[in-house]
Amino acid sequence: MISLHQVSKKYETPAGVFSALDNIDLEIGAGEFVGVVGKSGSGKSTLLNMIAGIDRPSSGAVTVAGTPIHEFKENKLASWRGRNVGFVFQFFQLLPTLTVAENVMMPMDLGKTFPLRERRKRAEALLERVGVARHADKLPATLSGGEQQRVAIARALANEPPLVLADEPTGNLDTSTAADILNLFRNMATQGTTVVIATHEADIARVIDRRVEISDGTLVK
Amino acid sequence: MTTLWKKAIRDFWTERARTALVVLAIALGISAFASVLSSYAILTRELDRGYLNTNPASAVLRVDRIDDELVNAILQNPEVSDAEPRRTVTGQIKAGPIQWRNLTLFVVKDYADIRVSKLEREEGAWPPATGEILIERDAFQVAKAKIGDRVTVKTVNGKEQQLLVSGSVHDVAQAQARMENIVYGYINLATLAQLGAEPYLDRLNILVRNNRFDSAHIERVAGEVKRLIESRGRQVSHVEIPRPGKHPHSDLTGILLLAMSSFGLFVLLLSGILVVNLLTALMASQVRQIGVMKAIGGTRWQIARVYFGQALFLGLAAVVVSIPLGVIGSRALCDYMRTFLNFDVNNYAVPAWVYLAVAIVGIAAPLIAAAHPVWRGTGVPVRVALTDFGLSRATFGSSAFDRLLARIGGTFSPIVFAMRNGFRRRGRLALTLLTLAAGGLFFLAALNIRASIINTLDRMFGARKFDLTVTFGRPYEWQRIQRAVENTQGITHAEGWLFTDGQLAPETEFTVTGLPLDTKLLDLEMLEGRFLRPGDTNALVINNRLAARTPSMRVGETVTLRIGTTQSNWRIVGVAKEAYSPAIAYVPLDFVQQQQPGMTNSLRLSLAQNDFDSIAIVKEKLDRNLEQQGVRTRGSASKAETRFGFDQHMLMIYIFLIVMSAIVGSVGALGLMTTMSLNVLERRREMGILRAMGATPRMVWMIVVVEGLVIGIVSWTIAAVLAWPVSKVLGNALVRAMLHGGLDFVFEPKGLLIWLIVSISVSAAGSFLPAWKASRTTVREALAYE
Repeated sequence: MISLHQVSKKYETPAGVFSALDNIDLEIGAGEFVGVVGKSGSGKSTLLNMIAGIDRPSSGAVTVAGTPIHEFKENKLASWRGRNVGFVFQFFQLLPTLTVAENVMMPMDLGKTFPLRERRKRAEALLERVGVARHADKLPATLSGGEQQRVAIARALANEPPLVLADEPTGNLDTSTAADILNLFRNMATQGTTVVIATHEADIARVIDRRVEISDGTLVK
Repeated sequence: MTTLWKKAIRDFWTERARTALVVLAIALGISAFASVLSSYAILTRELDRGYLNTNPASAVLRVDRIDDELVNAILQNPEVSDAEPRRTVTGQIKAGPIQWRNLTLFVVKDYADIRVSKLEREEGAWPPATGEILIERDAFQVAKAKIGDRVTVKTVNGKEQQLLVSGSVHDVAQAQARMENIVYGYINLATLAQLGAEPYLDRLNILVRNNRFDSAHIERVAGEVKRLIESRGRQVSHVEIPRPGKHPHSDLTGILLLAMSSFGLFVLLLSGILVVNLLTALMASQVRQIGVMKAIGGTRWQIARVYFGQALFLGLAAVVVSIPLGVIGSRALCDYMRTFLNFDVNNYAVPAWVYLAVAIVGIAAPLIAAAHPVWRGTGVPVRVALTDFGLSRATFGSSAFDRLLARIGGTFSPIVFAMRNGFRRRGRLALTLLTLAAGGLFFLAALNIRASIINTLDRMFGARKFDLTVTFGRPYEWQRIQRAVENTQGITHAEGWLFTDGQLAPETEFTVTGLPLDTKLLDLEMLEGRFLRPGDTNALVINNRLAARTPSMRVGETVTLRIGTTQSNWRIVGVAKEAYSPAIAYVPLDFVQQQQPGMTNSLRLSLAQNDFDSIAIVKEKLDRNLEQQGVRTRGSASKAETRFGFDQHMLMIYIFLIVMSAIVGSVGALGLMTTMSLNVLERRREMGILRAMGATPRMVWMIVVVEGLVIGIVSWTIAAVLAWPVSKVLGNALVRAMLHGGLDFVFEPKGLLIWLIVSISVSAAGSFLPAWKASRTTVREALAYE
């Protein structure tokens, strides 16, 4: 499903060149639930960004479902991402002026993946699936952190992507809510979706299939 | 409606106060533009239509005498479609117990059959019976008369007579009587006879049959008519060919409208700057949201469309607001112009193309203004957008200017903080300063131009040491005039001058003024050479207007001039400065009197007292004394009356500039308000930190207001620095376009102080609301803000 070959990422900073990723080779199979673990600043988010096509490697190749996404231009990447990747952020990143249902509908609007009339119904179904359907017409600011993250997960699933990426999805939640969210990801993987989450929390082992540890931009064998 | 468009609408609704401000600012710009464009469309249509409806003469020939037989002969020319004789007589009309006003009487043979240069009947009698006078509608207040009054009138060669004001007319071809301080009257031939003048007609208005708007053709036909008149033993002294189909004031209208159009576009440009500011800030505040939209599949164009949609909404809303405002504005402007130009607007309908143009400009302007910020904002890479730290991305301290600012310290850190804050968003600051400084510049320019106009007129009238001018219908012996002067109390000095026509070449005509060489009543500022002095014989001084028209007339040169009927050589000894004056050459009086020894046709007087009433008393007495000597005056004007006309023209420029500065200043104030609210929005988290550290709401309020004041003072400084050159260039351009003369520029220091007070007030007012909002935000809300 995901193949990273000799992927490096370097950033130019006022203090000099900073290497965020260094010759990463990684294979993740379809339906696998992988946890990328590492300390803050270790390169977890950069790795996820490479897989999502949010960032480009300085060198190396990133192939997702057979597609060499490192060759894509920005707009093509965006369209590809809309159909193939669901992304969940640490701070939920819901659009504040849209209702919960509308936030979930947005990827469908952007990708035109479902007929206009079906989008609302599908959003409601997804919200039902993550347990926040009753909040469909509320604005995100009125929801708790856990509820907002559930909405973000529903949004990530809007276009039925084969791949869901989550960057510190529980980093801003209490323990109980974090456990519920991780279970949701587990269920997704069980149903065939490839899930990759980046986290610095050690107690993720109970839900994931495989643990990938990263330190100073390199994978720890 | 897709979620993207819902987001666009709700984002605007969330920031509705700021959105309303920007809509208002754009609407101001578009309204100004719409007003001027509508006025242009209406005035050009109505002015020329109204003028053409009067069937204006293609040419006017001044003949010694015209009778029916001559008119019939002229009408035989197939190129002449109509010809109608008139007469114009000058005189005076009594406008108070002792006040006389200059009067131009138009004599019409048959009011029932006016075919050329028609008059519009307004009120009262038509036609005027013998012993009656119609007065031009704008001249009633000059004459201080009303319909039904009996007025005392005297012509140059006639006697004082009472006439009944039986009605009013509108003569489109005459300038506003108030501004010219003259009365236009309309009588018949029999009334002219009653006034003691010989009842004949001497001006022939002709209308060409074909090519009515072709000057060359009209000139040719007028030439044929002139030859025919002369072939019958009559004399044609002058042929006047007005610009075909154009109202005499259409050029002036064009200049005024051009100036106003430029201003309308300028205001539109400034309001465009507000859109740039708003959308740049909006894009900055939405960077992370843009990142999210991109992360979940949005392409750059899809996202850009949302923000372009918002710009489109701004434009549409502004157009909706500004069209009625523009129509109201254009109506006011048209009314002002029609009064000034003395014509009627029969139809205020704004043509469809104006609405279309306003809609296009109104919608396009914000879109164009939005193009750069939107395209740049949506081009931020997803990774960068997602890691955006809530808004203040620019790192203060990275430039040398920041470090320079950091050296400006103080004992009270909130003030220092506020001062430095003003310079954090320098692009936005520059645009805000531009709008505020532009308002200041126009204001300062208005005051400077006003002061310069006053200075120019003061100098111009200062050179004229006489308080009263009396002109005569023909030259009279100086001894007779002198006797009348000696019998009149209140005159301290009198000089008789002689005016005649001069020609350098057939096409270069100018006025020649013969002066006593020891004149005490004219002290012109010399630009070059010297003025006339005792002992001069063939010396000639020209004014700057004549020098500009005839480059061959230079100091030291000898030129051959035709003065009156004689040709002679003259040595140019100087060029004198005379603002807003026709082309004049000054020569020794003795020389021009060679053909008419001891004769004079103009009397210049300095008086012991030069207030309005004293001048009127002297005028009244002098008139009687002159009459006793058999001298008939054609007209008289005090220096104050002459100056009044100039002041009225200048007042227009001044009002125009003040209105401009008010509108531009308003746009600037709206811009500042927008900028301050954006600054506050962006620094909400910082405000939270300050509050967490113990800053009181009042201190937060003060920090924002001080930041606004810093912007206001910087804008004032820019305006103050640029005011001198801008005022000079703008003033010269406007005055030159309207009055064919430059300005003696002076700087009005009071303006700086006034604008400083205005800048501080506007800045304080503009930042008050954002400051109040900032101070009301709780610490928790501020710290949680993204």
